[in-house]
Amino acid sequence: MKPSGPIDTFQPIADRPAPVQTVGPVAWMRENLFSGIGNSLVTLGIIAFLVYYIPPILDWAFFSANWSGTTEDACVKDGACWVFINAWSYQFFYGTYPLEEVWRINLMLVLLLIVIAMSFTLPKHYRMKASIAAWLALPLVGMAILYGGWGGLEVVSTDLWGGFTLNVFMAAASIIVAFPFSFLWALGRRSQMPFIRSVSVIFIEFFRGVPVLSLFFMGSVMLPLFFAEGTNVDKLIRVWLVLIFFMSGYMAEVFRGGFAAVPSGQYEAADSVGLSYWQKILLIILPQVIKISMPNILATFVMLFKNTTFLLIIGIPEVVQTLQTALANSYWLGGHALEGYLFVFLVFWASCFGMSVLSRRIERTLNTDKRD
Amino acid sequence: MTAVKSSAEAQDIIVIENLNKWYGNFHVLKDINLRVKKGERIVICGPSGSGKSTTIRCINRLEEFQEGSLRVDGVEMIDDVKNIETIRKDVGMVFQHFNLFPHLTILENLTLGPIWVQKKPKSEAEEIAMKYLERVKIPDQALKYPGQLSGGQQQRVAIARSLCMNPNIMLFDEPTSALDPEMIKEVLDVMVELAEEGMTMLCVTHEMGFAKKVADRVIFMDGGQIVEENNPEEFFNNPQNERTQLFLSQILGH
Repeated sequence: MKPSGPIDTFQPIADRPAPVQTVGPVAWMRENLFSGIGNSLVTLGIIAFLVYYIPPILDWAFFSANWSGTTEDACVKDGACWVFINAWSYQFFYGTYPLEEVWRINLMLVLLLIVIAMSFTLPKHYRMKASIAAWLALPLVGMAILYGGWGGLEVVSTDLWGGFTLNVFMAAASIIVAFPFSFLWALGRRSQMPFIRSVSVIFIEFFRGVPVLSLFFMGSVMLPLFFAEGTNVDKLIRVWLVLIFFMSGYMAEVFRGGFAAVPSGQYEAADSVGLSYWQKILLIILPQVIKISMPNILATFVMLFKNTTFLLIIGIPEVVQTLQTALANSYWLGGHALEGYLFVFLVFWASCFGMSVLSRRIERTLNTDKRD
Repeated sequence: MTAVKSSAEAQDIIVIENLNKWYGNFHVLKDINLRVKKGERIVICGPSGSGKSTTIRCINRLEEFQEGSLRVDGVEMIDDVKNIETIRKDVGMVFQHFNLFPHLTILENLTLGPIWVQKKPKSEAEEIAMKYLERVKIPDQALKYPGQLSGGQQQRVAIARSLCMNPNIMLFDEPTSALDPEMIKEVLDVMVELAEEGMTMLCVTHEMGFAKKVADRVIFMDGGQIVEENNPEEFFNNPQNERTQLFLSQILGH
């Protein structure tokens, strides 16, 4: 069936811009804010609400606020007493860590940031190995530097650690150790071997099914009963263990979801190439699991990070506990709870938002599916 | 592994004897007997659910079987991990949905096996990879990711990935079924070329043109058993079994 006679050639039609009414800010507003009578009323109502409430809030927080001074007497104006935050800022950040040793905390914060940056910027061919090693070394280096007792570094007892940096370090140290563990638990739960599978299921379900507060109490009160007589394991270490177990139980389920989402064809292709079990898991499956699970990993980490404020229940001077101490201080009885809690909100929100930006960045780096 | 090979057996690179497989109580493969000579090209066809994919997936142990025996290049397929790994190194496989590793570039997809399984140095592995990419005519895509390639290109990469392991046998599991018509040809061309070079091939496919062109033998399966096998000419022009006749009339009739 060959076509006969003259043949039409295919003529592509050039792209034309979209009609003007459907793009641009005016069209956007018409479509999203004033698309009907109901929506227009709601839009106007919200604008009225903002006009009514925003100025007094701004006035309290900025224009009538007290910014300078060192004691409560400096707070003479009606607005917020930021002097309170300023006066206690050292304790809020560093707890009772000695002032002359505080560079050690700052050094650790810088190291943490360097390791995060490393994981993105190192040349690709050794980035993976180098950053995994750096991450795993970080908790140990952190303990050595913060605790001291070697190379002329003075010992700073863990009783003195506190403030927001303690929240950060506890959360970071927990997730770093929990990460590989939770991966193993998730693998165990998928295992064909009944013993390994049931141990994993029991562990995961226990730590997911028990409130974290009761785990903290268990860590601080019950765990010492299991240690041999005379051994005194530091309270922070015990709480760290609890956080690791708690976190790995949750993350194991996150990873399990990731495992389930990797198509079976990937396992089969890895098998047919001849990779061994661990090569298949580490080279083919794990990178895809991490990519799929990234949003949930971040959500779990943010949850754990915020849960570190529960440590105040067992008397560990993290940031909220420090705030309560400050509010009860007899020189600062003017009622600064609002300023104090706003400050804590802001610090936590800023950190969590930063992490969320970071994780979106990671997701983009890992996303190789989309065509360019 | 050091089985004494008779001269007739030495030529049979795959020997399947009385193979039976069940999924739970469902009997999927029934008394499969198949001998494949070195360099032989075999096309397996049949309706869906007939057990053709399952049969070739048994050859590299993506599926286990309960009864019978299977020998690949003199190595008995048993539960021993060592035997399974030996056989897998010898057998390449191409899948319907390509199954490239999406987080690795094309080049990394190809060098993975040579580097990690065959322990070749990276430079040598990349040299091999580029050689096969040139053979499937897409060396310019080496640094892209699978998601950036068309289906036909991805399938050609998948063929190259298997070839990088220097296999003696290639299994194709419906390699063109997920492709647009315009891309089927580019994949079939690569497969024809491979067949002409003397590769032992088992191919599950419905591309009857391909079967006529390169197959030494066509096998028709239904209900988990081999219904008929013959050379392509006899198979297509003079099918013996009425089930085969019905199948052929349905797929060739339009």
